[in-house]
Amino acid sequence: MTANLTKAEFDVYRYDPTKDAKPRYQRYTLELAPHTPVLSALLQIRAEVDPSLSLRYSCRHAICGSCAMQINSKSRLACQTQIGPEMAKHGRIVIEPMRNQPVIRDLVVDQSPFWRQYDRIEPHLKLDPAHPMPVGQPTSMSPEEVERFKETPRCIACGACYSACPAVESDPEFPGPMALAKLYRFVVDPRDHAHQDRLLRIQPGGLWLCLRCHLCTESCPKDVRPSERIRDLKELAITAQGATEHGSRHAVGFKDNLPDAGVLNEMKLVRQTYGLVGTLGQLGQGIRIYRKKPEILRKPHPIQGVEEVRKIYRALDREEGKE
Amino acid sequence: MRKHEVVVVGAGLAGQRAALAAIEAGREVAIVTKLHPLRSHSGAAQGGINAAVGADDSVDTHIYDTVKGSDYLGDQDAIEFFCKSAGPTVIEMEHFGTIFSRGADGSLARRAFGGAGFPRTIYAADRTGLALLQGLWERLGSERFTMYEEWELAKLVVRDGRVQGLIALDRRRGEFEGIAARSIVVATGPSGRVYGRTTNAHSCAGDGVSVAYEAGAFLKDMEFVQFHPTALLESSILITEGARGEGGILKNAAGERFMSKYAPHALELASRDVVSRSIVTEVREGRGFSGPYGGYVHLELMHLGKEKVESRLQEICDYSRLFAGIDPVTQPIPVYPAQHYMMGGVGTDIHGATNIAGLFAAGEAACVSVHGANRLGGNSLLDTLVFGKEAGIAAAEFAAKASTPELTAADVTEATAPYRAWSSRTDGEDPSALRKEMQQTMDRYAGIYRTESDLAEGLKRIRAVKKRFERVRVVDQSKVFNLNLTDAIETGEMIELAEVILVGAYARTESRGAHFRVDYPKRDDARWMKHTLAQMGPEGPTLSYSPVAFTRWEAKERVY
Repeated sequence: MTANLTKAEFDVYRYDPTKDAKPRYQRYTLELAPHTPVLSALLQIRAEVDPSLSLRYSCRHAICGSCAMQINSKSRLACQTQIGPEMAKHGRIVIEPMRNQPVIRDLVVDQSPFWRQYDRIEPHLKLDPAHPMPVGQPTSMSPEEVERFKETPRCIACGACYSACPAVESDPEFPGPMALAKLYRFVVDPRDHAHQDRLLRIQPGGLWLCLRCHLCTESCPKDVRPSERIRDLKELAITAQGATEHGSRHAVGFKDNLPDAGVLNEMKLVRQTYGLVGTLGQLGQGIRIYRKKPEILRKPHPIQGVEEVRKIYRALDREEGKE
Repeated sequence: MRKHEVVVVGAGLAGQRAALAAIEAGREVAIVTKLHPLRSHSGAAQGGINAAVGADDSVDTHIYDTVKGSDYLGDQDAIEFFCKSAGPTVIEMEHFGTIFSRGADGSLARRAFGGAGFPRTIYAADRTGLALLQGLWERLGSERFTMYEEWELAKLVVRDGRVQGLIALDRRRGEFEGIAARSIVVATGPSGRVYGRTTNAHSCAGDGVSVAYEAGAFLKDMEFVQFHPTALLESSILITEGARGEGGILKNAAGERFMSKYAPHALELASRDVVSRSIVTEVREGRGFSGPYGGYVHLELMHLGKEKVESRLQEICDYSRLFAGIDPVTQPIPVYPAQHYMMGGVGTDIHGATNIAGLFAAGEAACVSVHGANRLGGNSLLDTLVFGKEAGIAAAEFAAKASTPELTAADVTEATAPYRAWSSRTDGEDPSALRKEMQQTMDRYAGIYRTESDLAEGLKRIRAVKKRFERVRVVDQSKVFNLNLTDAIETGEMIELAEVILVGAYARTESRGAHFRVDYPKRDDARWMKHTLAQMGPEGPTLSYSPVAFTRWEAKERVY
């Protein structure tokens, strides 16, 4: 905690729809201690240099979720990101609004797409009239049951994961990491009586659109690890309801077809995912791939280490008690 | 003009609970809030919520601890109601979906907290506020109501002896609009940003308290300002009392566990006013540490072990590592007191009613009073829920019998005339500079140890800032999300509150709870066992006093 100052250069995204035809970047240079949070720097700019800079902020310690933004192209909380390491790594600090949501002004985005997805998962306990809450006392819940929530209660709904998510970018109907992590929180809640219904309803156009890139987990300021909870949801869905969706059949097919040759039989995977009739629907795409990669039609020869692959599968099966 | 039956301003725990109660009472409800509900400062509460739920604890002990903690300024009838409501309130929140920490037997886990004779603080790790906020928003979110999100309260319209509605700024469009309401609940939370060194969020600008004061409401006991003993050095980020509840200890630079001198029995878990004064005394008398961010002492958790610290104080670990660069598992945390809570607020009865018909208040914005001169840790979350609900019920009852008032375009024009003047100036005072000067003045002259001369000097300075504010200038001319304008509005509101705090503190020539006068170091029950009421007058606040309600507990000297 020394007060040695260092020069910090900020290139801040500016856009006011009432007067700017298009966004621009404004340079601000400050002398700051290296441990200064980006948020403090932006507030200093507001107070001393330019009061017209607009952003959302409140608690300044990563609990209100207001100040998520793109800092050197990563979705971060401004209050939780120190300027020293950013300057050391990038030589300047580029500040932009969150992605996947329209900009209102400067660093303020319209989060309604994010909140719509939050509402979509019906984020409230659903009770069964046959199992009412105990009268005059709390529900009993063991510490082990609390453990099942994992880190999801830490979520502060900042939207950093939503901003980082390429699946949201390619398909705005994808619920996004936060909403799915929130769904997980209800699916493991012993007080909730709609677990199966929730899993059933999130699968079409939802759960299986995740690209498994883990950028949400990387960007989460509270270590909620949304991609791992999405994985958990997939596992719960397949275990309880079987592989009913293209997404889940693809996952199961992938797993089932690998031990045959130790490499993927892609033709078989298409059949496993879409079924025979559905595969015909993929013909156009198939021809495009065949032109670039004609070997796709050949059944792959077992690789040299295929027995090792099968051994791994048997070990995993044993671990899950399937043998 | 927009019209609603019940309008709740603020969407933290108190506002949400009020809205839910009014909806359940069958009223049509709107919420006006400058933050998304999940961004409310309620979510920053860490340690827990008090309720005597165990067979081994008793409601009477909770009442007694709260009365004693308040230094006998809390109204005992209100405190009895408050503590009796605690169990049902926590159970209700659990049923709404709140995820609490649990004991091995499946019950709600409890920890020790300051000023309490029993470990009765129910918690969710060290993010109890966030857990409650999530649980309540999940419950309320499934109801039907109108949401004015990111709308900032600017004025309450009072006419013909009752509230008529409010004027608020839609931050996104930059338009001020009138919203007529049969009844209004002010639940805008803290005003901690009157001070510079505060644990409070930047948004805690006392909006509703100040606007109610301007509309003619009494502010009660505003001189009682709680300073939390353990705020992180430099940033003043809160380090929960739960850290001491879990066994954390305080040490000075000589390595002495100095609380044994000041509170030989309760030690670190004496009430907050006592611990804060002890830390400041240690530093002032040269026994603290010193550094570029001022004097401080150490809060040690190392002896608790990595497992306990990282599981029960997970957020504290993050804050210490991120914002102070130290690891509490292996290193002491540098701490110093900072403003944390306003015991005072808009004066109400148990049902949230103010002196203005149709206007109700709840949560930290209100003062019932159950906290008196010093609030106990774990009682503020409880306050938001118990009295939020009461205010919601009372506002619904009022609305059921009242007619819908009318607001006119002239109401909006009149209320917003000053803002237009601010924006049209080509020269004038910068709101940020005025805010900073106000905060520095309050830190210096209205802190933990107060004297007549300091308070007089502080008042002189605040009045100079107030004078300069008459020429405030808003530079940003944009309609959209104009923070320069909202900063100016909030700064003007906070200057009023700063003045009320100073005037009340200057007048109260005794020491009680968090109000400590070096020149009057003893509590003076004969002259000062009474609530301060401040009402806005032409020359600043005018003070009057009201009696404290006693039921079963006689005032005694407070020893921890």
